[in-house]
Amino acid sequence: MAIHKILFASLLICLLIQSIHGATKERVLGDLYKGALDVTTKNRDGVLDAGKDKVTITWKLSATGSEHESEFKTIKVKLCYAPPSQVDRPWRKTHPELFKDKTCKHKIVAKSYDNNTHSIDYTLERDIPTGIYFVRAYAVNETGHEVAYGQSTDDAKKTNLFSVQAISGRHASLDIASACFSVFSVVSLIFFFINEKRKAKLEQRR
Amino acid sequence: MQVEGNGEESGITNRRFALPVDAENKSTTFRLFSFAKPHMRAFHLSWFQFFCCFVSTFAAPPLLPVIRENLNLTATDIGNAGIASVSGSVFARLVMGTACDLFGPRLASAALTLSTAPAVYYTAGIKSPIGFIMVRFFAGFSLATFVSTQFWMSSMFSGPVVGSANGIAAGWGNLGGGATQLIMPLVFSVIQGAGATKFTAWRIAFFIPGLFQTFSAFAVLVFGQDLPDGDYWAMHRSGEKQKDDVSKVIRHGITNYRGWITALAYGYCFGVELTIDNIIAEYFFDRFHLKLQTAGIIAASFGLANFFARPGGGIFSDLMARRFGMRGRLWAWWIVQTTGGVLCALLGQIDSLTLSIVVMLIFSVFVQAACGLTFGVVPFISRRSLGVVSGMTGAGGNVGAVLTQLIFFKGSTYARETGITLMGIMAIACSLPICLIYFPQWGGMFCGPSSKKVTEEEYYLSEWSDKEKENEFTSH
Repeated sequence: MAIHKILFASLLICLLIQSIHGATKERVLGDLYKGALDVTTKNRDGVLDAGKDKVTITWKLSATGSEHESEFKTIKVKLCYAPPSQVDRPWRKTHPELFKDKTCKHKIVAKSYDNNTHSIDYTLERDIPTGIYFVRAYAVNETGHEVAYGQSTDDAKKTNLFSVQAISGRHASLDIASACFSVFSVVSLIFFFINEKRKAKLEQRR
Repeated sequence: MQVEGNGEESGITNRRFALPVDAENKSTTFRLFSFAKPHMRAFHLSWFQFFCCFVSTFAAPPLLPVIRENLNLTATDIGNAGIASVSGSVFARLVMGTACDLFGPRLASAALTLSTAPAVYYTAGIKSPIGFIMVRFFAGFSLATFVSTQFWMSSMFSGPVVGSANGIAAGWGNLGGGATQLIMPLVFSVIQGAGATKFTAWRIAFFIPGLFQTFSAFAVLVFGQDLPDGDYWAMHRSGEKQKDDVSKVIRHGITNYRGWITALAYGYCFGVELTIDNIIAEYFFDRFHLKLQTAGIIAASFGLANFFARPGGGIFSDLMARRFGMRGRLWAWWIVQTTGGVLCALLGQIDSLTLSIVVMLIFSVFVQAACGLTFGVVPFISRRSLGVVSGMTGAGGNVGAVLTQLIFFKGSTYARETGITLMGIMAIACSLPICLIYFPQWGGMFCGPSSKKVTEEEYYLSEWSDKEKENEFTSH
């Protein structure tokens, strides 16, 4: 029976997906210790080009953060969307629940925590979309849960933002191939039409 | 010379064809695994071409998570492109019926397919939201090959099997909307694996549907044949079909209220199917945090149900007709379509991934069967204006998709899940007019046949005025 087959197939698909699907975390950003890390970014003036330009990111433990230092095991640094880049784009929306939050989708680096000042030169990757960004560093404990964070901008996410222009992904070779195949399609259509007319004329002459 | 349709070798004409045929040389059987010229070959060519057009039209949605980042699209842009992809075909479907009449289904469909292929190729070079909307708009015209498929099947297959031929051809064509959700992410990851960056890989991927579309059109032109006896243009039209007045045919089509009801109802089964094809991959990707390929597999399973669901709807309609006549067809259609609407409304409310997939699969079977059941009723609405009524219904399907995406899936007014629920509720409401369809010779859902005892013949002949009937008799 078709219905039984569908249900069985759907069960198989679901089991497959459950194994890919991660565990649910319901912690909220407000639970984390704010400003535990001092994060700063430095870059050249103007709009940065993805794939080419660099951002120098520096992070260290802040005065407020030193109280909870013992919990920090890893620092995860991420590239985050500023509010202007989130407008009318629900897939970049800020949610209070960390698991649902889509503000910081691009991983920059993850390093084990120590009490020094760290600095990296991050070259913007080629799959970074056009937008306005800031940097946030999460301090993660042994069980993999975020416990504290710091970011390179203020709470309102208005200061110290930088703009990135994505690569276009276009290539001259692709444009030429498109043109060739398109012309080929249209020309063959005309050829077939003319051929049909010719065959019809021959048939009528008989 | 009367040719029997049950395999008897009763005349020379019969030996010309691999399948048994009737007086018009239309096949009276349907052999799925045969490629025999011209009937089964026409079937396989037409469904495959329609399938390729569906693949191209819905090639963008499964890759949207990548495309939206490359082109910096907003939710509004994506919504507009979705609307554009199904709106072009509204007009094209209306015109395609006439084009088939004039040029034959082979040339009409191949012309459409080849002239929309450039839109698919040019997707590789777009750089802005406007470009995205334009390519989706023009590629979407190719969905009008639905009409040529139905037309071609009606020319090749006779009464008892034309329903199955039409249903399977349409269903397997619609399959493309599901197959593309699997094919495109797969092609994308292969190209990415070969070394291309994300924002280039998706562009290269579009050449695959483009090439398939071009070559399916070539196959139709080279191997296909309009009619069992030959091609339109190569044949000397023996005038067995009285040439009808186009304006009268159109008038009789559009003044038949049943055609408008089927158009509205089809808008809320096929229209819902098209809308889901456009939004479901992104929905699963965003709501359940899945990988692109995983979201694609789930989205694909919706469209892949078309393999058996739509033909099943057509066969179910024929089954109900055998026991309960037209009233059975109408009841079956209304119940299946309303159930589809209920399941759609439910889908948006579900938070669990597993349950969402299960509900979506059941929903897909019901909504696609409803499409098959629609075309179990449409052929009976009019004989004189069958093409017009079919074209109206087909176009109505796309109008439903346009409206639904415009109201519920444009921009960020409604969350996707709310949009899906509201779409289900609208489908339930727009299926109610099916209860109003009434045939004087067979009745409707709630009324029996007319007490005036109208026969089938009288109903169809009423489409001709007395004067026209006179001309028919005197000209013979």
